[in-house]
Amino acid sequence: MTDSQLLILLSTLSTGLILGAIFALVAAGVTIVYGCVWLPNASNGQFFLLAALVAWTFTASLGWSSWLAAIAVLVLGVGLSYFLEWILIRRLYDTPNRNVAYFVVTLGMTQIMTGIFSMTYAKWSDQFSLPPVVEGISMIGPFPIPNNRLFVMAVSLLVLVALFALLRYHPYGRALRAVFQNREAAALRGVNVRSIYRLSFVLGSTIIFLGGILFALAYSFDLTVAWTMSITAFAIMIIGGPGSVMGALVVGMTFGFTQAIVSIFASPTAATFSYLGAMLVILLFRPNGLFKR
Amino acid sequence: MKSHSKHLVWALTLLALSLPFAASGNKFFAFVLGMTFISLLWATGMNLMYGYVGLMPLMFAGVAGVAGYAMVHFTRTLGWSFWLAMPVASLLAAVVGVALGLPSLRLKGFYFTLCSLVIQTVLTLAFIFFPTYTNGDTGINQVAPPDWFGGELKGLGLDMSVAIFAVAGVLFCAWLVKTPLGQRFVAIREDDVLAEGLGIQVVRCKIIAFFIVSVYAGIGGCFYAVYVGFISPRAFDVLVSMNIWLYVAFGGRATIAGPIIGTAILAPIPFLLQDLQAFKDILSGVLIIVVTLLMPGGIYGAYLAWRSSQSRADSSSNSDKVQEQRV
Repeated sequence: MTDSQLLILLSTLSTGLILGAIFALVAAGVTIVYGCVWLPNASNGQFFLLAALVAWTFTASLGWSSWLAAIAVLVLGVGLSYFLEWILIRRLYDTPNRNVAYFVVTLGMTQIMTGIFSMTYAKWSDQFSLPPVVEGISMIGPFPIPNNRLFVMAVSLLVLVALFALLRYHPYGRALRAVFQNREAAALRGVNVRSIYRLSFVLGSTIIFLGGILFALAYSFDLTVAWTMSITAFAIMIIGGPGSVMGALVVGMTFGFTQAIVSIFASPTAATFSYLGAMLVILLFRPNGLFKR
Repeated sequence: MKSHSKHLVWALTLLALSLPFAASGNKFFAFVLGMTFISLLWATGMNLMYGYVGLMPLMFAGVAGVAGYAMVHFTRTLGWSFWLAMPVASLLAAVVGVALGLPSLRLKGFYFTLCSLVIQTVLTLAFIFFPTYTNGDTGINQVAPPDWFGGELKGLGLDMSVAIFAVAGVLFCAWLVKTPLGQRFVAIREDDVLAEGLGIQVVRCKIIAFFIVSVYAGIGGCFYAVYVGFISPRAFDVLVSMNIWLYVAFGGRATIAGPIIGTAILAPIPFLLQDLQAFKDILSGVLIIVVTLLMPGGIYGAYLAWRSSQSRADSSSNSDKVQEQRV
């Protein structure tokens, strides 16, 4: 293998791992909320962008370090999730067929946030980036990679592992999976279904906010990333199986590598087209997705 | 239907058709009125699907876009008359709508809506990335007004034809929902398994509905193109589908008056907010949430509920009145 081939391979690998981990995170956030609360969050891309933009504000306007900005955004994100749950989400907990109603409500949220962003951030800049958390560049063979991206990659993968462990071993995770499978039976066994709904919404949204921060740390971004992320997260959720965290991880990683490979040879739009196509095929022929929830 | 409500329909029709004359003195009002009529045509089609069949087709604007672009292609490149290009383009859009919708007919509720959102996104991307017919993101400007016996149909004449098509669309919808076919739509909305069991061919009815709705979208799309004179992918994106949906849901789904009320109130707003386009997005987002959470029946639905509670208080014998009012 020549050096240039190795270079392409390593760059694809690193981009694929970072993008895949972020896709998997966001899709896991969406799929947890859908599986548990039955809320398909169409505004996940706007949440993602909101976190990135607020972090940008903290670093660019207030001069905070990226560390501080990331932590502040996460704290604000948890607060915002609780607030949204209290003002909007809990009002539909008992509605039959609430997934359509939730879908419409989150599409409304998408419009509100799109409007706010285009009144504010769109006027200030068209490309945003955060200062790196870690300085310096490492060499992997002939391939130079910024330490910052290595850091983001490590954090993303760690968070994925932690999330998986939380759902598998923590009592909350077990209660959540019980609600996934059968909410009546879970309620009978003493699980407080409404508080699990609330926790799931907050957990899922926070993971999406975290994904936005990680993306902003690794790459520069613009306002169009929101819609692309929404579509991608939904595609991952549908293909992986709504409510299946395992599916979100596997398909998210696959999509990340697809994006990394496709963007070498063709435009990223080709990747978006292929996600949409894959999602349509799965919706039409296997609506429960490839993985069991 | 009682005879006085028949008179009411005639009076409203005449009123609607006289509005372009009343507004013809002021170019701005005439334009806003024309756009409202086009939105009304769209909202009526959306109401047929969302209100009566019970499916939420978010690819509505995309289908309208197919017709708009096709019409421009026919008139500009092939040199057809608008009055030939418009029906052909609308039928083409209907075929596309049915072809795209066909596989999704098995899906219900959220999955159908998501599928239609995906189709809408594919159509929007297609408008951007196949510039041969669409001129990509830049859009096509200076779309010529319809031809009219050698001249061009502009001003009051164009306003009138838009109004006539919108009123005809509403009257057709009002007629259709009372036919056996329209009743079948309602049966499918209420319970499609039961409808199937009663011998209704659910898939065939849905295909027919898709076809009719896409024709509504297509005619609206063609008139939008000639009326505004400019089309671009943004004119037919998912936000437009959501707005049309909002007109129906805000006014009152599954009623004839609902979309009229919703369109009359909401459609002029963006034109009154000229410099604050982003604010329009925020407003419609807020309205979407408010409608979904607080008034699922819309304005007219809330009025009907109030009136039926009034009449129930007056006498309990008039229970069939409520049935009638829904139609």
